[in-house]
Amino acid sequence: MAHPAHRAVILTLCALVVGALASLAAIGLTDAVLWLNDRLLIAPRARVQYEASRVVMALATVLVPAAGGLIVALILRYLSRARRPLGPPDVIEAVQFERAMPPLRDGLASTLAAMVSLGFGASVGQYGPMVYLGAMLGGTVRRLGLAVPNLPAIAVACGVAAAISTAFNAPIAGLVFAHEVVLRHYSTQAFAPTTVAAATGYVFANVIFERPALFLLQFDGVRHGHEFVLFAILGLLCAVLAILFMRLILRIAAHAAASPIPALLRPMVAGLAVGLTALWLPDVLGIGKEALRFATIEGAFGAGELAILVLAKLVLTALCIGFGFVGGVFSPALLIGILFGALFWTALDASALLATSGVAVYAICGMMALTSPVIGAPLTTILIVFELTRNYDITIAAMVAVVFSNLISHRFFGRSLFDVQMARRGADLSAGRERARLQAMPVTDCLTRGMVLAGTGEAIGAVRARLAASDWNEAYIRDDAGRFAGVLRAADAAADWDSALHKPALTFDDTTTVLEAMQALRGFVGDAIPVIERDSGRLIGVVSEAAVIEAYLDMSQTLRREENAVL
Amino acid sequence: MRCFELALLICLLSAGAGGAQEPLTVVSWGGAYERAQRAAVFAPFTRATGIPVRVARYDGDPATLTRRASAEGWDVIDMLEPAAIGACEAGLLRRLDHDAILDDPRAARADFAPARLRPCSLPQNVFATVMAYDDRAFPGVKPTEIADFFDVARFPGKRAIRKSPDDILEWALLAEGVPPAQVYDLLSTDRGLRLALRRLDALRGHIVWWEGAGEAADMLQDGRAVMASGYNGRFFAARQEGAQLSIVWDGRLIGYDVWAIPASTGQPRAAERFLRFAARPEVMARLAERIPYGPARHSALERVGLMPGKGIPMRDHLPNAPQHGPRFLISDSPWHSHTRDLRQRRFDDWLKAGRDGKGG
Repeated sequence: MAHPAHRAVILTLCALVVGALASLAAIGLTDAVLWLNDRLLIAPRARVQYEASRVVMALATVLVPAAGGLIVALILRYLSRARRPLGPPDVIEAVQFERAMPPLRDGLASTLAAMVSLGFGASVGQYGPMVYLGAMLGGTVRRLGLAVPNLPAIAVACGVAAAISTAFNAPIAGLVFAHEVVLRHYSTQAFAPTTVAAATGYVFANVIFERPALFLLQFDGVRHGHEFVLFAILGLLCAVLAILFMRLILRIAAHAAASPIPALLRPMVAGLAVGLTALWLPDVLGIGKEALRFATIEGAFGAGELAILVLAKLVLTALCIGFGFVGGVFSPALLIGILFGALFWTALDASALLATSGVAVYAICGMMALTSPVIGAPLTTILIVFELTRNYDITIAAMVAVVFSNLISHRFFGRSLFDVQMARRGADLSAGRERARLQAMPVTDCLTRGMVLAGTGEAIGAVRARLAASDWNEAYIRDDAGRFAGVLRAADAAADWDSALHKPALTFDDTTTVLEAMQALRGFVGDAIPVIERDSGRLIGVVSEAAVIEAYLDMSQTLRREENAVL
Repeated sequence: MRCFELALLICLLSAGAGGAQEPLTVVSWGGAYERAQRAAVFAPFTRATGIPVRVARYDGDPATLTRRASAEGWDVIDMLEPAAIGACEAGLLRRLDHDAILDDPRAARADFAPARLRPCSLPQNVFATVMAYDDRAFPGVKPTEIADFFDVARFPGKRAIRKSPDDILEWALLAEGVPPAQVYDLLSTDRGLRLALRRLDALRGHIVWWEGAGEAADMLQDGRAVMASGYNGRFFAARQEGAQLSIVWDGRLIGYDVWAIPASTGQPRAAERFLRFAARPEVMARLAERIPYGPARHSALERVGLMPGKGIPMRDHLPNAPQHGPRFLISDSPWHSHTRDLRQRRFDDWLKAGRDGKGG
């Protein structure tokens, strides 16, 4: 292990370099998408200038997203080995289970596909791909093999922090997002570099490229005390909508895999659906930053329009993601939430039962209360409000809505869409990092050596003699084909194999995890448990209770060290 | 190479001096602006080249451009940038070879930025559409921001507005709290246009329309209106002549005024010489000392000094002076040019709805 000063230098440099690169990459991705939106007549500002040529407009509206779908499918099929979009769940998985990030080539292909998806107007978000891009850049640090503990995870977190910091112009939110969603613990060793990376991202976004704050808003404060109850109710309703949104995404993705539409054409079908909807509801195209702003202006939408748009955006986003477009759920969630918040206010205002402070605060509360359960990051969303609007009153209001929304959604759905997606892939973090790691570790990793191993071909007496000379009370016996036959106990006096062999009290196989082993070992008495290959019945080895407990202690210690590391 | 250029220049100059009799027809906007141009640009051009300048006037209406340009023998037109873009795309203007017109074209391009050297136009000055009010009408609480323009409850009285959808729609959205960076994105949607016109509804019955650039200040002065939208240079000139009005810089809309050469010109060479002369930093600065329209080149901005005869430091009155506050909007000329029909249609519908008594 390197000297502390040496480690400090490496960590700082790594934070600066990864932060700068992730920030530039995020800016590049944003600009590329804007450029494509402009050229492909997705952005309203470009569309309005061709308003006179109706046929061209209609064709572009329907065909551009569909063409984008086809390109995305081709990119994933021919450029990516993983053949699927990569996103925040892959990042979380790599960090939580100390694995390498997916190959660079797959990451680049996924990013390219995300750029096309967003550029061609699919109803998906840009922040997921940005987070992945930042993490991918951070992931390359692992290859350098620098002798600093926990460095790979920290470098990935640095990339994520810088990406969010740049994307939202919100360094504090970037820092907290990296901890809340990716690292899932707070240690000084990780905190310092992620802060540096987030600040670097901010410097690039704000000082060098002078990006404006995304969502400056005029708001004079919450005027009535009873409104905080309304924010809480809005939070609860948003939780229900968020659960619906996430379930729909998972459901459509599951159905898409079983559908008769070939994978290569699926994104195109989703693109066509977006284009056809956009013919009479142009707000569904792309990220929809215009609609985001309109939602904060009183009277910009009627209640009916809001309801239809919430529904359309919800279904189309789930369709686009489920059918294979590459992109995130973050910005669609922001849009659905802000429209729903505006709808809530419109209903409230129409009822004329209670006085309110205007639509803006409800829109923002809805936006954050819907987003927070989807990404599983209440603290980040609260901070994003603060940094985007630079308005303290709105932040307090959003905080109330976010907390209630998160509470309900976590109880009835899960921590976030990412976590549920990961759990379905076998990486369940819902009961903590320690348990997840034990669950991810196969029991074959802690096999015990030196046990007495024999075949039924040997003379039983010779085996007994070997057993007596060892510390073991049992010998593990294979048949002629190498399959596990049973155990021979030292205390047993039977003279032939048939009557001497016993079935062990417990066996594991190659899919048994350390967590399962620990649960099974309660009340177990004996030397060790044979581990048998599930398909062939071959004996892989044995594992002792002590070895399983040792693995558990090692894991706990690694995590404790990581969580308390200073440098 | 330098020698060659010098020789060419001498040739051109002597040719100019020789053919001095044929006057160049330059089209301007009249009033205080034209007086400043005569003093700062036209007269010095004639002195330098011997080519006399005849001034014509034009109100910017694109429908009459072709007919008048050829009938009246126009050679150079002072235009708003969006109009020049539209006319260029319609083939009514000559394409300009900026590399031939400007010395050191690469450096010049940077000097003009963020103004752009477009195919048919050469930026000349920066003007702002601002709001002004009659000091006598609001002795107590004074309007300070663009939203006040739309607030007839707090600031009662008539509003003088240009009868065109050009600037008022942007203001309407700024008054809704939309940040300047997003105004054009939102105005590009049907919803945005509806919102802007809804904001304008608040002023129904309180509007007096103006069409000539100088009228806004006149209307404030003679009491026909208490608040007006208009060009900052015109309001400045009216103040110089004793009008009691104040300018509110919040939400100012910054636009570019350009030189262009109509396709029908009979003297393209002389017209280009005029552009070459007018684009000199010292000429631009001289204009800005007479009427507070900012020069389009950075190098000219540094030369702007005191107003001749009055001693007023003119840099403080230019649209891009820093003390005017952070909220301004740079007019998107291509967008303006390409959405003209749509905006005009919506504006006309709005006017018509008022006459029919609907939504009034």
